[in-house]
Amino acid sequence: MSFASSMVASVPVFGRMFKLEGEPELEPINAWPAAMIMASFMWFSVAVLLGISLPLTQMLGFDTSLFYTAVTAHGAAMAFPYVFQLMMGVGLHRAAGCLGKPITGIIPALAFWCMNIGGILFTIAILMGLKISYAVMYPLPIVGVQTGQWSMTAVVIGFTGIAGILLTVILLYPVQVIKMLFFDRAQDDLILSPRTLNDPGMLGMAMAAFVLLIMGAPLLIVASAVLLALYGILPMAWVAWATDPMVFQFVFYIFAHNLMEAMAIMIISALYATLPLYLADGTRKLYSDRMANLALWILLVTSVTSFFHHFFTMFPALPSALSYHGNIMSWGTGIGAAVTIFTIAMTIFKHGLRPSAGIMAALMGFTLYILDGVSAIVTSNVAWSFQLHGTMWQAGHTMAVLVAMSLMWMGVLIHHYPVITGRTLSADSGKWFVTLFTVGAVGVNYSFLAAGAAGMPRRFAAWDQEGWMIYGYFILIFGLFMAVGMLIFLLDISRARIIDTGPVAAPAE
Amino acid sequence: MLDFIYRTGWGAFAVMLLFQIPFLLVFLTLVFRKAYVNTGPSEISDARIGGLRRGWMALVIALFLIVNLVSIQFFPAIYTARAAASGVPAIDVAVDAQSWSYDMSRQEFEVGQPVRFNARSLDTMHGFAVYHPDGQVLFTMMLVPGVGVSSLIYTFTEPGTYKIRCLEYCGLAHHEMNDEITVTEAST
Repeated sequence: MSFASSMVASVPVFGRMFKLEGEPELEPINAWPAAMIMASFMWFSVAVLLGISLPLTQMLGFDTSLFYTAVTAHGAAMAFPYVFQLMMGVGLHRAAGCLGKPITGIIPALAFWCMNIGGILFTIAILMGLKISYAVMYPLPIVGVQTGQWSMTAVVIGFTGIAGILLTVILLYPVQVIKMLFFDRAQDDLILSPRTLNDPGMLGMAMAAFVLLIMGAPLLIVASAVLLALYGILPMAWVAWATDPMVFQFVFYIFAHNLMEAMAIMIISALYATLPLYLADGTRKLYSDRMANLALWILLVTSVTSFFHHFFTMFPALPSALSYHGNIMSWGTGIGAAVTIFTIAMTIFKHGLRPSAGIMAALMGFTLYILDGVSAIVTSNVAWSFQLHGTMWQAGHTMAVLVAMSLMWMGVLIHHYPVITGRTLSADSGKWFVTLFTVGAVGVNYSFLAAGAAGMPRRFAAWDQEGWMIYGYFILIFGLFMAVGMLIFLLDISRARIIDTGPVAAPAE
Repeated sequence: MLDFIYRTGWGAFAVMLLFQIPFLLVFLTLVFRKAYVNTGPSEISDARIGGLRRGWMALVIALFLIVNLVSIQFFPAIYTARAAASGVPAIDVAVDAQSWSYDMSRQEFEVGQPVRFNARSLDTMHGFAVYHPDGQVLFTMMLVPGVGVSSLIYTFTEPGTYKIRCLEYCGLAHHEMNDEITVTEAST
């Protein structure tokens, strides 16, 4: 038994959900993914409780500092330790099963530990008083020290944690994917469903890995320089180029925006791979692989430079030409999404769908992803950006894109779960999970968007102004729907039954 | 009508629903009506889907073009340039934002008077959002320290007390960073 699988088996409660009881020979492609997926759900459980606490702190009139602590910790847990780690676990398992390459060695281990120790360090810093988000809002961390809001120790610990997370996201995960795609030797006994880069289900994996590596490299360089200065290894004067607010904001958003797009490309790619397995008699294909690949390429090309929409309201510091470019490219991603919608819809229209919990979770996640995409391109229009930037509209967009991707990945996870763990899930619980989680997620999303349309600021600890608390009530109600849906999902996987009828059915991938 | 659509948050919300509702209706109907096991060959021809594909892409591109082309006149860069070229002198207002207050060179204006807000941050990132008395955001500017001045010209059309809020998280008293400006009827 490998270290990763022993570790999973030894973790209380969550370990039972993901311990490996399937075919031992598949352990090289199952062990680290199981550990990553398990850890992601531990983070998500914390994030859900913190999310529920946000409207409660406002309704009960608690100290505003508590709200800022909860909102920072909620965002910190959701974005990377939960969604990215879930994607990393399921995505690596998918890639390994398609390529017949093991997920072993130092890189997946480092990816796991850097992500989770980084997340823990950042959480400790938040509990020590550091209240910034991943967006960092530079130079707020330093201004916060100067104005006595938090200590320099908290900043150093927090930045160390963020560095660990970024190392996984920008370097370790992409390198592992590229290594598997182009270098490692395939093992026939690990191939579950062979796929090549011509397949849309595999192309997206490669695209996302390269986007993360290339678009994240400038941030890794800048963040490393700042961190070395914070440790006192380099004089602060030597890294003045990296601490310029404009430099920091641009390298951050070039990465952060493309990270979200890369994650979207990857999950759309996973949906392209999974959907055909649930069509008609299970032997059908996508309506058009060419359309599917075209959509991925459009999303890739348009998203790379659409990040300028984060800076529209800096006019005229951001030249108008770049604003228009960001506007056009952002709406260009909508063209890619329209091609994807058509491909998915026509595939179902042509062949019919076998609606099991996994594929329905993925399709409901896709529905939310498209709804969110519309809200995103609306706020990426220069005119609307000046009414919506900095409001709850954008918090809603961030929340919805993360929840949509997580629901899609949970759908793909339900499909892969029997192969990873050797256990099977309840169809009835799956239906309840998908229904409640979808209703909750869509409801929370519209509550945020309506609050933004009404002018309610994001990350703002005074919801009792201008009648904004009504949106807080809706957020709480729909948030509880999501929490109950999630609880049903976790209960279901903790009670999963061992598949006892011979070897585990060969997964389609 | 266009003013409501392009210059209010609820206008943006309405346009968003215009795109979302047809998608929701068509896509979910398709998913749930097509939820059955069909072991026979598909009876839907590629030629039929080809026609749908051309129609769908034409509709999407047309809608995207219309929405964005019409929006250009509402870009702050455009209405600022128009106001500057109108010949009516704009009142210059210097705004310094610093945790957690604003220092404005002037806070009282008249209806119909173009006002050029030149805002900057002196410490960390801040926002400068002007709210109509009915609670709508009229415009917001992101202020990044060291980048220079964010600037636009706005002409108030109604008298009242307009709230100013910071929309960029700036620390523990971010929610208390606000101010007011007063707009009065135009003197003859």
